[in-house]
Amino acid sequence: MYLNRRQILVGSGAIGAGILLAGCSSESGGSPAPRSSGGTPKKGGTLRVGALGRAGAITRDPHGTQTNESDYLVLGLVYDTLTVPGATPNTLPRLAASWEPSPDLRTWRFKLAPGAVFHDGSPVTADDVVWSLRRLRNTKSGASRLPGVEAANINADGPDTVVLVSDYPNAELPLLTRLTTFVLKKDTPDNALENAPGTGPFKLDWYRNGNARLVRNDQWYGGEVHLDAIEVTMFETAQAMANAIMAGQIDLASNAGSIAARTAESRKDLHIIRRSDDMAMPIVMRTKDGPFADPRVREALRLVVDRDAMVKQVLSGYGTVANDIMGTGDPQYARDLPQRTRDLARAKQLLAEAGFDLGKSYDLVTTEDIAGLAESATLFASQAREADIRINVVKQESGAFWDDTWLKGSLYTTYWGTNDSAIFFASKTLVSEAGQNEAGFADPAFDAAYRDAIGAPDQAARAAALAELQKIEYERSGYLLWGMADGIDIATAKVNGLPTLAGYGRVQLQGAWLS
Amino acid sequence: MAELTPLADTAEPAPGPGTAVRRIAYAGSWGLRAGAVLVRRALLLAAMLAVVFLAVELLPGDAASATSERGDSAADIAARRELLGLDRPLWERFADWMTALPTGDLGTSARGEKVADLLRDPFPNTLMLAGTAFALTAVASIALGCLAAARPGRLTDRVIGHVATSAFAVPDFVVATGLILTLSLWTGWLPAVTVSGPDGDPANWKMLIMPVLALTIPQTGWNTRIVRGALADQAATPHVEAARLDGLSTPRVLLRHALPGALPVIATGLATSTGMLLGGAVVVETLFNYPGIGSVLAGAVASRDTPLIAGAVALAGAAITLVLLAADLIRAKTVGAQR
Repeated sequence: MYLNRRQILVGSGAIGAGILLAGCSSESGGSPAPRSSGGTPKKGGTLRVGALGRAGAITRDPHGTQTNESDYLVLGLVYDTLTVPGATPNTLPRLAASWEPSPDLRTWRFKLAPGAVFHDGSPVTADDVVWSLRRLRNTKSGASRLPGVEAANINADGPDTVVLVSDYPNAELPLLTRLTTFVLKKDTPDNALENAPGTGPFKLDWYRNGNARLVRNDQWYGGEVHLDAIEVTMFETAQAMANAIMAGQIDLASNAGSIAARTAESRKDLHIIRRSDDMAMPIVMRTKDGPFADPRVREALRLVVDRDAMVKQVLSGYGTVANDIMGTGDPQYARDLPQRTRDLARAKQLLAEAGFDLGKSYDLVTTEDIAGLAESATLFASQAREADIRINVVKQESGAFWDDTWLKGSLYTTYWGTNDSAIFFASKTLVSEAGQNEAGFADPAFDAAYRDAIGAPDQAARAAALAELQKIEYERSGYLLWGMADGIDIATAKVNGLPTLAGYGRVQLQGAWLS
Repeated sequence: MAELTPLADTAEPAPGPGTAVRRIAYAGSWGLRAGAVLVRRALLLAAMLAVVFLAVELLPGDAASATSERGDSAADIAARRELLGLDRPLWERFADWMTALPTGDLGTSARGEKVADLLRDPFPNTLMLAGTAFALTAVASIALGCLAAARPGRLTDRVIGHVATSAFAVPDFVVATGLILTLSLWTGWLPAVTVSGPDGDPANWKMLIMPVLALTIPQTGWNTRIVRGALADQAATPHVEAARLDGLSTPRVLLRHALPGALPVIATGLATSTGMLLGGAVVVETLFNYPGIGSVLAGAVASRDTPLIAGAVALAGAAITLVLLAADLIRAKTVGAQR
């Protein structure tokens, strides 16, 4: 998912409000309420969902820039993408029932789900899908949404097969079609997008100023939908959304954040749903040049951070300790590598060996784009003091940060909202030619492992390469990934069958039901 | 949005000497007078919009960087800047926007939506909220002010004075949070937030109660003090003194003799409150998720969406201007009548 930063900004549970969590030692962070999805799902009822969004950022275009969670939720239920996020494997069929690569992993053939129809009853054809994918590819950010696939290389082969040809071998192509490939009817005019029929589990009843009502699509090919309707209310702030669920005005507060969760903990009638591996907030250390170019210095910083304290204080305990490898939710994540823990003595020794200048002060640039980000920088700086490293936290305005610091700075915080694929990060931020190489990382061994991982013909070789790639990342990349924030939804006790996946998996409400 | 308030004239004890404009207009016709005041107010509004444009310009970042996606290159952002017209000088953008304004065109937002469309539903909602709060404020502050003035220096007077001062001293968001806790989360009497229906309005009238109270309480505190002060000034004037010595009842003295003379000051005070009410709406609407221009404005400032901010301010400013104009006329009429 090419989460743009505003998307995550809205998604982080506090719009622009850096809320200081440090020092609040909450007893919680512990056990999520187990969701007894026991019993047979019941049919019927209306689920009232709150989601964050801003009036000025409303978009009705399935291929537009969706910065509002409320809009993405509506689109994600009315329209279908080719594939959807899953747990294991991380890519599951949706409008595409199956897919098949050519031996060189450049040509991918997607077969459409039999029986898929639009809400107006017309069957979905490969032409509709081709038209939609080309429309997506031709948007301003199309190149990053369908990377390596030119619009001309998206074609139909018969009524139910769509063929995508990539410029380079890409084993991860199906994963990249997960979140943005909404399918519309061919030739839907731009001025008719608001009521354009989709193929999703719900049909649009009405939409106004960010709020909407959706009704069940009884024709859906993807299985039984239990709810009669879903009502979406847009909230400008997480605070108002939390008040709404406390007062019983909504049944589900989507992506409510840790502050709301702490408030809701004491309430027996509310469940807190924790979706692990939702948000990464790593510290980026520039590998290409500057004070952190020496791998021993980067290793030292990774030994300086007190990961448990970070998770406890920055995330209020709603998170997990991480091990400096991006893509923690990957089914093939390297769990065999030893967990790094704090070792100040070893860190000091490494710094001395590398001749690191402890007399200077180093700027760590951060923003308040998402809750906890600036706090993570501040806490890390105070932990580094204990190893005699002087780090000075600089808070930059978001626009200036992305213009001036991102991809260029020597020490800064970043954040990513899609974390179920190690290859995703390898291709996007770590391989030497990556367009968003945040640390200027260029490592021939890593690049070789990456090419094997996406292009090796047999599965075993690919798995071995993926393990090697993660090991290199663990040892010497520019990332210091101290932990992963949970995604947090709050629901009333009667709501069952809610999604538990991180990131945008949270909008898959077609399985929800009310007891 | 405190910059909305400089529009208001300071309350002057009436009957005082008016400004030059006022004297000429008093000598001249009503139409001329209203026209002169209207022009002055319109100029003030234009000046304020220029300040808004300038203020957004001075904030770090702009609409192009604020609405960009991660991974956009500097060239992408530059292209976007050009698309949004941000590469043109500020005064030129302001002039374009201002000249389109009289035709009802509020320009295009940073995301390419018509600003007028974005504000079509929220503006009436805000007028309803602020209007209700204004009416309540007027009634409550005059009633409380008279009650206090009826027995100067007694317990009632002192209690009302202290309560009014503290009510005004508490910020909007504190009042709002207190209301949510007491009237909704602890007691369950009222809905905590506003949920809108398919028509874009609040789903039921109960959702209006708390936002209205959150705006009314501080402003009533402020205006009660003004009413009380104005009545005290009036009590010292010869004609009220005479009425009291004639043995007329206290309510009669207050309502028939003191209040008419105090009206210009009260009207000015209330007019000043419209600015505060609309400014407070930004905070209050956001807290209650009320679908008004305050909520739109809060988000628009974060996105550096100058046309959307200016559109919201222009509408709010126009509403305030009308109220101030009405206050001017009331003041002129009563002052004139007394001469």
